[in-house]
Amino acid sequence: MTSVQLWALLPLLIATASIVATMLAIAVYRHHRFCASVTVGGMNLALIAVVYDLITGDNLAVPVTGLMTVDAAARFGMVLILVTTLGVLTLCHAYFEGYKRNREEIYLLIGLGTLGALTLACATHTATLLVGIELLSLPMVAGVAYSMDERRAIEGGIKYLILSAAASAALFFGVALIYAHIGSLDLSAMSQALSAASLDQPLVLAGAAMMIAGLGFKLSLVPFHQWTPDVYESAPTPITAYLATVSKLGVFVVVLRLFHYGSSPISPLILTALVGLAVASMLVGSLLALRQNNLKRLLAYSSIAHFGYLTIVLAVPGDESLRAAGVYLATYLVTSLGVFGVMALVSSPMGERDAEHIDDYRGLFWRRPYLTSILTAMLLSLAGIPLTAGFIGKFAVISAGVGAAQWLLVGSLIVSSAISIYYYLRIVSALFSAVAAGSERVSEPMGWAQSFGGLMLVVAMIVMLWLGVYPQPLYLLSGQLAQH
Amino acid sequence: MISYLPLVFVFPLIGFLILAFGRGRLSENLAAIVGVGSVGLSAATTAYVGYDFLTHLPASGAYVVPLWTWMSVGTFNVEFALKLDGLSLTMLSVITGVGFLIHLFASWYMRGDDGYGRFLSYMNLFVASMLFLVLGDDLLFLYFGWEGVGLCSYLLIGFWYKDAANGAAARKAFVITRVGDTFMAIALFILYREFGTLNIDELQRLAPQAWAVGAPLATATAMLLLGGAVGKSAQLPLQTWLPDAMAGPTPVSALIHAATMVTAGVYLIARTHVLFELSPVAMQWVGGIGAVTLLLAGFTALMQTDIKKILAYSTMSQIGYMFLAEGAGAYQPAVFHLMTHAFFKALLFLSSGSVILAMHHEQDIFKMGGLYKKIPFVFACMLIGTLALTAFPFTSGYFSKDEILHQAYLTGHYELWAAGLFGAFLTAVYSFRLIFITFFGPERWRQAQAHGHGHGHDDHGHGAGEPHGAHTLDHHIPLAILLVLAVVGGYIHLPLSAVLPEAHIAGGDHGPAYIAHLPFVASMAGLVVSWLLFLQFPQVPAALARGAATAWIGKLWKNAWGFDWLYDALFKAPFVWAARINRNDFIDGLIGLIPAGLRGAASLATATQTGGLRWYAAVAGAGLCLLIAVVALH
Repeated sequence: MTSVQLWALLPLLIATASIVATMLAIAVYRHHRFCASVTVGGMNLALIAVVYDLITGDNLAVPVTGLMTVDAAARFGMVLILVTTLGVLTLCHAYFEGYKRNREEIYLLIGLGTLGALTLACATHTATLLVGIELLSLPMVAGVAYSMDERRAIEGGIKYLILSAAASAALFFGVALIYAHIGSLDLSAMSQALSAASLDQPLVLAGAAMMIAGLGFKLSLVPFHQWTPDVYESAPTPITAYLATVSKLGVFVVVLRLFHYGSSPISPLILTALVGLAVASMLVGSLLALRQNNLKRLLAYSSIAHFGYLTIVLAVPGDESLRAAGVYLATYLVTSLGVFGVMALVSSPMGERDAEHIDDYRGLFWRRPYLTSILTAMLLSLAGIPLTAGFIGKFAVISAGVGAAQWLLVGSLIVSSAISIYYYLRIVSALFSAVAAGSERVSEPMGWAQSFGGLMLVVAMIVMLWLGVYPQPLYLLSGQLAQH
Repeated sequence: MISYLPLVFVFPLIGFLILAFGRGRLSENLAAIVGVGSVGLSAATTAYVGYDFLTHLPASGAYVVPLWTWMSVGTFNVEFALKLDGLSLTMLSVITGVGFLIHLFASWYMRGDDGYGRFLSYMNLFVASMLFLVLGDDLLFLYFGWEGVGLCSYLLIGFWYKDAANGAAARKAFVITRVGDTFMAIALFILYREFGTLNIDELQRLAPQAWAVGAPLATATAMLLLGGAVGKSAQLPLQTWLPDAMAGPTPVSALIHAATMVTAGVYLIARTHVLFELSPVAMQWVGGIGAVTLLLAGFTALMQTDIKKILAYSTMSQIGYMFLAEGAGAYQPAVFHLMTHAFFKALLFLSSGSVILAMHHEQDIFKMGGLYKKIPFVFACMLIGTLALTAFPFTSGYFSKDEILHQAYLTGHYELWAAGLFGAFLTAVYSFRLIFITFFGPERWRQAQAHGHGHGHDDHGHGAGEPHGAHTLDHHIPLAILLVLAVVGGYIHLPLSAVLPEAHIAGGDHGPAYIAHLPFVASMAGLVVSWLLFLQFPQVPAALARGAATAWIGKLWKNAWGFDWLYDALFKAPFVWAARINRNDFIDGLIGLIPAGLRGAASLATATQTGGLRWYAAVAGAGLCLLIAVVALH
């Protein structure tokens, strides 16, 4: 391994080191803020390493041992992953301050998950894919079940564990089937096989279907979506945020490598399946969210719809749609972080019950005007109202879909968006409605621990509006995804 | 110098912003300083820019000050540019000059009103919008200002919104002018489609090349523009809103509904005269509408008892003269009359406001009488205004109205000339009726007072009904200046020749000499008739009111020829009927199917979320099978 390769791998190495350091810190001296600082510091260093590469290096693709390649697309993915992880860590710190049992291990779990996501971002081999996906999923099982006194948390953890294991099994079965046909485990070879798949290659086709099913589970696409609301609901809010953002982001980078980076467009047979999943996800996701009163479940359903929108880019060959994917991912991450962030802060410090029912948010504006303003803006962004980041993301995806004349997908997106306006605005109207005195949820005043979370939210808000008004830099940056 | 031009409307706009955001926090004096001062500065800027314009006349007749590009979509490019030529300078001077005087008067008139700051803020916004209207060199800009003044008119008519009737009057004005505005918008669409621009100079250059005289599209465009002008200027058939608009405070009536906004239609036709010249039919309609309106309004004014309504119908009638002139191709006299009318009508309205306040908010002239002794200064103002209105020799109205009638005759529009001549007679009758009944004759307010205070327990020396004059400078100065302008305004020479063409007069023919004197004769006849009927023999009108046929005609005139009734029957009644039929809104019911369907689908989808692990695994497994089937079996 040359120094260039080591240097390219530096972000992963730093992340690993910070995990070890956190573990040691917990063993030596249990202190919430200290352990949090160790992880946050490590992730910041990793982020600096990536950004340094992006800015100073000529952004070359550096293959490492045939298992990984650190290229521009990987770096773009890693920046998004690390930034989002940092946001979630900030929320964790505010949130777990009120947790009665051991609080420090949550940083370990998040660090491990992030390492998995980073691995996925660089994966060019199915072995790395395997390691990355499990490294990302398994810590989250523990994360979901973190408050283990609660029956609900355990239930959610077990659901996630079993279904996730089944999905991984399907994924690897699919990998094995394709391997049986092409004799290679390299992702680019797989991608090639998926592009060239024809009716006389039953192994490849069946393998592709099983891979789509496995990856579709991780991205919670319909009909592999049903775990999403239950798990989101039972997890502590920052972990829900993590599941909705980093965990899907890491997987989606690999999906792009598998289904989009082939030298020729994807086989029409597989395309049909992807289009079906996307349309079903958009419509079913929005319908499920329509009358949902639990915000966590509602956001779970809306994330199903959102990843349905994102799947459109897989049906559109060409670099422009990769750019759209990058724009969409970035805007989705900022916005989701904002929404979950407000929820986490309203629920912080962790008490008996998270603020997740819509009634908990009724009239929130009159108690927490700033948080409510941020939440309102973020919800509008999720709905894709112009001048918010969400609009830019949706616009990019729609223009990609229109460019490729994928009218079914674009039509579904529009119908789903129309439905989504209703359930987002329903929350907004609850935020500003009058509430009878005494019936509101009592929330603690903002303590010092939450002020970091508040700061993070303000930054997220500024970034969100900035992207909504001036998206050009993000467009340019998203071009990285096309360099692989 | 000319670069100061934007300041003309920037000052009132700033005034509006300060007053709007400082509402309730500014004292009355401060609000008056801001509200009146901003228009004053605007007037000063106009004077400065105007002096510069007249001393350095541009070769093309106009200065264009481009400010910025408003919007640029594809080939659709709207430059925000201001255009100053003789016509817009005339309008600017009227708007800022007369506007300033009216603002000054209003700052006195509105003292003690709860919405003092709000009132001045609307007035400032109005002035800014009106300036926009006349300065824009693009029809889209003109339209922007056009709608802006419509909004301000709405806000100010309904200013005393606590009385529902005022709100209704405001809505009526807004809706009826909107009908005209829609015609105008369609005209703009046609022009843009045909020529790809809305720049007025461009249009005036391109239209005659593309359209032959009398081309159907040219006629359609001109008629649609006329529709807009008719709505704004309260001409037949969209005239019914103006009398109701008198619900607003009197300075509003003076500024918006006499001096400036209602004349915007006249300005529009003058501004786009090239388009009108392309359609002889439309020109006939312009003149015809003007002539009919001036006669109908004149008869109606004869029977009104509300002092402001008399003036409102008189305004309608005078704008009829301006339309008549434009119809005869005499644009310059039309704009000239626009200006002199602004002077004397503003004077009349402000004086009437003073009368109304002196009479403790009484507007019925039949409850006044003999006032010339009580409020002599206001009487003088009213008398001078009336003389100018009736075109008494050497007052301002004399020059402009005579010019209109003379040119109508010389251009061969004899029927217009005859209507105008008869209108002059009517004008004199109803105007002096107002003077005679209000300021002369028995002091009827004493009777009302005697009824009201039957036992005469009055310790104050004069009763509550006793008229009381105003004695402050902010009341006297505007009236005095307007009085002077109403007298000498006719000597102002307008720099219009570079903008507006001369009327087509065949071969230097000046007609018989007596033609020039006929309007004066008509006016004097009207004065005498009025004197006989309303001062000398008041029993004659009373007797006429008792006769069956004459009473019916009187009623018809009093109700403005029944247009309100007609429109109610034609438009309102069917609409109300349709609304009643469709009370349950069946379209809404159809649309309601969508959410209902979605709710049903959502329930179905939600039923799949059982929470059971086995079920989830089974669904995912089934999904996988389906996927394989789709991919592999296709």
